[in-house]
Amino acid sequence: MSKYKRLTALLLSSVIISTMTGCSDSGVEASADEAITLRILENDTAKQEGYLDVLINAFNEAYKDKGIQAVDANMEEYSDLAANGPYGYGPDVIYQANDKLMTYAEDKHILPLDIEEFDCYEYVPEEAGDAFNINIDGETYCCGIPVNIQEPMLFYREDKMPENWQTEWDDNSNGVADFFENWNDLYAYSKYLRDTDASANKDSQYGFMSSFNNLYLNGQFLFSYGAYVFGENADGTLNSEDIGLSKGNSVTGLSALRQMAALMNEGCIDDTITMNRYEKIADGTYFCAVSTPDTYSLFVEKLALKYENEGLSEADAKAKAIENLKMVELPELMPADGDLTKNSEEMSSSDWVETVVMGGVNGYAISSYTEHREACVEFINFATSFEMIQNRMDMLGIAPTRSDVAEASGGVTDTIFESLSEGNIYLMPSIKAVDQIWVPTQTLLGDIAKDPFREAAGEQPKYFSQQEIKKAIEKVDKDIYDAIYTLK
Amino acid sequence: MEQKRGLLKSSFPVKASMVIMGTGQLLQKQWIKGILYLTCFVSYIVYLALTGVEDIIGFFTLGTVKGDAWLGIEGDDSIMMLLKGLLAFVITAFFVGIHKSNINDAHRSDIKVKQGSVLPKFSKACGIFFDKKFYIIALAVPVVGVLIFNILPIVFMILISFTNYGGDVVPPELVDWIGFDNFGKVLALSEIKDTFFKILAWNLVWALISTLVNYFGGLGLALLLNKKCVKGKAFWRAFPVLAYAVPGFITLLGFKFMFSYGGPINYYITMSGGSAIGFLDIDAGLTAKLIGILVNAWISVPTSMLLATGILSNMNKDLYDAASIDGASKWKQFTKITLPFVIFSTTPVLITSFVGNFNNFGIFYFLRGGLYNEGYFLASDTDLLINWLYNLSIDNNYYGIGAAISLIIFIITSIFSLLTYVRSGAYKKEDTYR
Repeated sequence: MSKYKRLTALLLSSVIISTMTGCSDSGVEASADEAITLRILENDTAKQEGYLDVLINAFNEAYKDKGIQAVDANMEEYSDLAANGPYGYGPDVIYQANDKLMTYAEDKHILPLDIEEFDCYEYVPEEAGDAFNINIDGETYCCGIPVNIQEPMLFYREDKMPENWQTEWDDNSNGVADFFENWNDLYAYSKYLRDTDASANKDSQYGFMSSFNNLYLNGQFLFSYGAYVFGENADGTLNSEDIGLSKGNSVTGLSALRQMAALMNEGCIDDTITMNRYEKIADGTYFCAVSTPDTYSLFVEKLALKYENEGLSEADAKAKAIENLKMVELPELMPADGDLTKNSEEMSSSDWVETVVMGGVNGYAISSYTEHREACVEFINFATSFEMIQNRMDMLGIAPTRSDVAEASGGVTDTIFESLSEGNIYLMPSIKAVDQIWVPTQTLLGDIAKDPFREAAGEQPKYFSQQEIKKAIEKVDKDIYDAIYTLK
Repeated sequence: MEQKRGLLKSSFPVKASMVIMGTGQLLQKQWIKGILYLTCFVSYIVYLALTGVEDIIGFFTLGTVKGDAWLGIEGDDSIMMLLKGLLAFVITAFFVGIHKSNINDAHRSDIKVKQGSVLPKFSKACGIFFDKKFYIIALAVPVVGVLIFNILPIVFMILISFTNYGGDVVPPELVDWIGFDNFGKVLALSEIKDTFFKILAWNLVWALISTLVNYFGGLGLALLLNKKCVKGKAFWRAFPVLAYAVPGFITLLGFKFMFSYGGPINYYITMSGGSAIGFLDIDAGLTAKLIGILVNAWISVPTSMLLATGILSNMNKDLYDAASIDGASKWKQFTKITLPFVIFSTTPVLITSFVGNFNNFGIFYFLRGGLYNEGYFLASDTDLLINWLYNLSIDNNYYGIGAAISLIIFIITSIFSLLTYVRSGAYKKEDTYR
């Protein structure tokens, strides 16, 4: 046998043996450390803006004598606890929206908690706490501690308000422009801006702008009119067999959406407005755009950049942007008949319905696979304290669920808190089946938003009557049902 | 048969080896070999006792105790049990192979002893084995690699397609074997069946057209840049390579933006007084399909061009001179000389290109994801089977159904690849030097 063959054989054999031994031996575990280390999974914004560092440093400082320390779990924001947790790779404490957390709760991947055990309990409204309740075998368990509320908001530049708004656009003289109070005036002002657009291509000024293919940002066109995602069983639990997007007068709401789309550009059909809203609000092309409170800093950044380009220093530009950029809730009244073109002055109180937007509650939960339940409770207690929630609000612009922090800050934060308490926020259903609602609704909303542009292009519109809209939304209900149940 | 009879009439050491590995070798005084075989035997018995039997039973039951993290009940993990069971079968097959080699070895030694030969020492026996059976040593690593990274995942996927894994049945719920139910759903349940056949038809058309466009696009570009009249060939060749060098999904996101309502194409259309066009929206089935083919060509033509350039550089120029003298037109020269030569060399590439395009996930996922069209179950009219598979198994957790569709895709692409390759000149004239 040649030397070459012997050498090759030896080499290959060692590769096989080393591979096999490498596979069979998982290594010696590190010796047990007395200090408890908690892995905290926060969202990306909290990491990027430095809030997670602030939280972890403050907690570690406060608990250094108790032998508990927190660290960044250093995982992808939406890493799957169900897949990683059972094998010991998941976080100990997880921060996410109620729909996501409750998906884990259904399979018991997060622990039930006694919410009364937490200091924030007395300050959190019942609605926020309920978002984390789950019914298992007839018993209700709370599986998360609320931190903040998310709902779609309107962002606009104060200097872009019409000069005469107090005389022309404030009929009730309450110091709030009518177009921020009801949708008919928002439609009217948007139409005014479109009609007076003097640019060659009529594309320099728009009023209200939103990517209509997004249910979360445009749920008001359904939920204000009595639609719902999942019905309720007699015991108050959600019934995923009862899909109700076509229920109530949702057809009326979708007609209003169709009307509003006609005053926008084709960007409302897809994600275009979601992507360019920061820039277009900054340059004044859009008067107002819909987004969530956690994107506040992105609007400020774009506006500050504009001011910097105009010659202001970085600090001055940011200060001016913060002063000029405003965030308000969506108008609180929608026309009961879905006709946005009606003059609001001629409408009585019975002609309106209250706007109900889609929202969510973000909160903390504890992984069922943690070995340090009590330490996790300590961490959540600390993270939901008045100081930390206020810090979170200051750094991230969130709307807290703690009433004392909301009251102390006042303004929009307090208003969002009130909206939740008054039931004007339809919380994302906290069951697994909610995953199936997004794509069918996204497809339909985008399709209805396209209708005015079909008409403008001389094509046959699809949704020329309410019957057509009714058929389409009923089909969405069926599609969602099929997606949940066909393959079960 | 003769060997079998030989084994039956064999001596005691051989029969001992049949019962307990290595004992025959020990009786034949081949100590090291005997100990090694015996160690394998004992290891396998210990493995069976510790976990093997349990793993094999678990493979069939897929668990009997449901976990409950709140009550601290760990429960059975059906998917892990399936994997461990699969591994137990692989280990058993490996053991059977070694056992067979042990019996054969004892039998061979027995014959040698009867013939009066002296049995070689272990080191010498190893040397003879390495020398005569070197191919076994050389192929062992690749074969183990293929087994672990190719065969096992495929077998695992096949097994999953026979379970109800997915939907609500995910750990800690227990998974069950359900036979051919998933295939029944794909091929019989009206909504899924209709969607499956619609997507399959489009998928075949897509794979064929995009393979041809990419192949002939690359060949055409290579021929163009091969022409003497083209100045700065290296410079021009760099452009397609640049398109190839950019990561595919970045290119796709770029194209998605370009064709979106807020993208530059619609910007210039509206600037020139036209109405924005929904290139990729819900009404844009055919347009979106054409854009998909073109975008795929943008990404894939450079590879074909580089391949064709390399092959063309090996062409014998005399053939063209002779053809010209015989009066063959340029087209004739292309169809009778260039094309056969290139196709002969690139048939395997064409097959992989077809399979790659058949399973091209990225194009329509990035260009037109997030749409469900009327008449389709959890899919849009541009989705390929692989996209639908993703919608079902990742977005909607229907892993069992997804695996069944994967298996169908696997069968289609395997049959196509094998038939095409076996019928191709590249296979039939493998040893021909062109």
